[in-house]
Amino acid sequence: MNVLNPDSLRIPAEPGAPPCLLGNRCRACGNVVFPKMPVCPACGTNGAMDEVEIGRTGKLYSHAIAHFAPQGFKAPFFQVFIDLPEGPRIFSLVGTKCPVEPGVLEDGMQMRLVVEPIADTPERRDQLTYKYVPAHEGGDGC
Amino acid sequence: MREVAIIGVGAHATGRFRNKPLKALAYPAIWDALGDAGVKVADVNVAYVGNSLGGSLTGQEGVRGQVILQHSGITGIPIVNVENACASAATALRGAWLEVAAGAADVALAVGVEKMDVGDNTRTIGALSGVSELDLSESGMQFTTSYAIHPKINLKARMQEYGWTAADFAKPAVKNSRNGALNPLAQHRKPLTIDEVVQSRVIVDPLTLLMCSSISDGAAAAVVCAADVAKRFTSKTPISIAACVLQSGVYRLVGDQRPDSATATAYEAYEKAGIGPEDLEAIELHDAMAPAELMLYERLGLCVPGEGPRLIDEHVTTLDGRMPVNPSGGLCSRGHPVGATGLLQICELVWQMRGEAGQLQIAKRPKVTMAQNQGGLLVGQDSAVYACTILKS
Repeated sequence: MNVLNPDSLRIPAEPGAPPCLLGNRCRACGNVVFPKMPVCPACGTNGAMDEVEIGRTGKLYSHAIAHFAPQGFKAPFFQVFIDLPEGPRIFSLVGTKCPVEPGVLEDGMQMRLVVEPIADTPERRDQLTYKYVPAHEGGDGC
Repeated sequence: MREVAIIGVGAHATGRFRNKPLKALAYPAIWDALGDAGVKVADVNVAYVGNSLGGSLTGQEGVRGQVILQHSGITGIPIVNVENACASAATALRGAWLEVAAGAADVALAVGVEKMDVGDNTRTIGALSGVSELDLSESGMQFTTSYAIHPKINLKARMQEYGWTAADFAKPAVKNSRNGALNPLAQHRKPLTIDEVVQSRVIVDPLTLLMCSSISDGAAAAVVCAADVAKRFTSKTPISIAACVLQSGVYRLVGDQRPDSATATAYEAYEKAGIGPEDLEAIELHDAMAPAELMLYERLGLCVPGEGPRLIDEHVTTLDGRMPVNPSGGLCSRGHPVGATGLLQICELVWQMRGEAGQLQIAKRPKVTMAQNQGGLLVGQDSAVYACTILKS
């Protein structure tokens, strides 16, 4: 297994410890960005970006079911944007145990980060990445 | 800056031309534009060639412009390759305009060409995903999805916010299909009904197949020239480039209060051209997914938020209206060969302004028009490229 985005995702070695995303917080203005970048896009300060662990949870901003998949993906699948409590609004896929059906996700619901292969296809099944699932009990299977 | 005019345009039909490579698609567009302008190859001082997907889809990773133009007999002069996603052709036009405006050239050629039908739709969709920042495309994000739920576009949320129905959503596709039906260069020439559009296959909820632009090949070209030498080549009405504005997306944190980038680009163009949106008499805009036209009405200042469907209901933006939008049929009917689209828009507007648009001719020949083109997506929650060109006659 390879991690698709090793610079953006931390998978703790200790079993049970929750994974998280890696972003940057600007020492000058405090804004948090994801993915990381060396110059703060909010205030323009160069070289003041500290690595921060973010995104263990988030709130669903928008979602849609895509019925057509690019190469290496399987349709139908959810595509979503997540508002992280630290600030960024990011694109993500949804954990594959979550059934791809209307009504399963609702904008505004709490989500949590999981790590799994980006897609269950021959091209992508060895690439680990982050996805989100509903945070409620049993939410990884919705 | 010198006054710059478009003195000739040409286009290849849009559609699927499996066995035609890029250079074969571009050749008739280039020579039609030269012929239309009365310009000989030897008169062309510089050329800008827009193309987006040719590297990944055809394997010709570099020097596509030189390959394409050599095939058409244009060699030796400076040739600049332009890749700017779905706005590659508008960006090529800006390069040509700038050369002439700055006095570096008297005659410049802008070409846009795209080859999307390579016999494998999945590969084409993959290549299209690659014109968004890799962090997005590698994660599985697609353009269709971005129109549905991306924070800057989010047509799904607009539907809820304004109470737009599925039928409202289908209106631009229906309007533009009627225009496309009259356009001999269009990819799709069947007039559609609201029911057909709403009931076609869902691609990404709430977007259906007939609301989406399709895989297409095509090419377009324009010859631009210093206004004071235009008469040397042609007696046709020169079409002035009153503004040719290019902006790039900005990184937007959640809650960003700056104007939308499509709005900022359009208003910079209005200011440079000394007009307001109410002065426009024809518009070609970037409806890669048809309902985006409703949102662009707002962003270009053509109506207040939420009023988009009314502009169609009340025949403001139909071909018989005061301000026809996408008279060519737009991206969904005329077609969206991505790296050619910006110049296909320009071709249509020039034909309209000269009274040469055939069955598509707007009854009151437009004198002030605008082409709006955009492309790509960045992680900073904006499109990558925004372009607006205002023409006057």
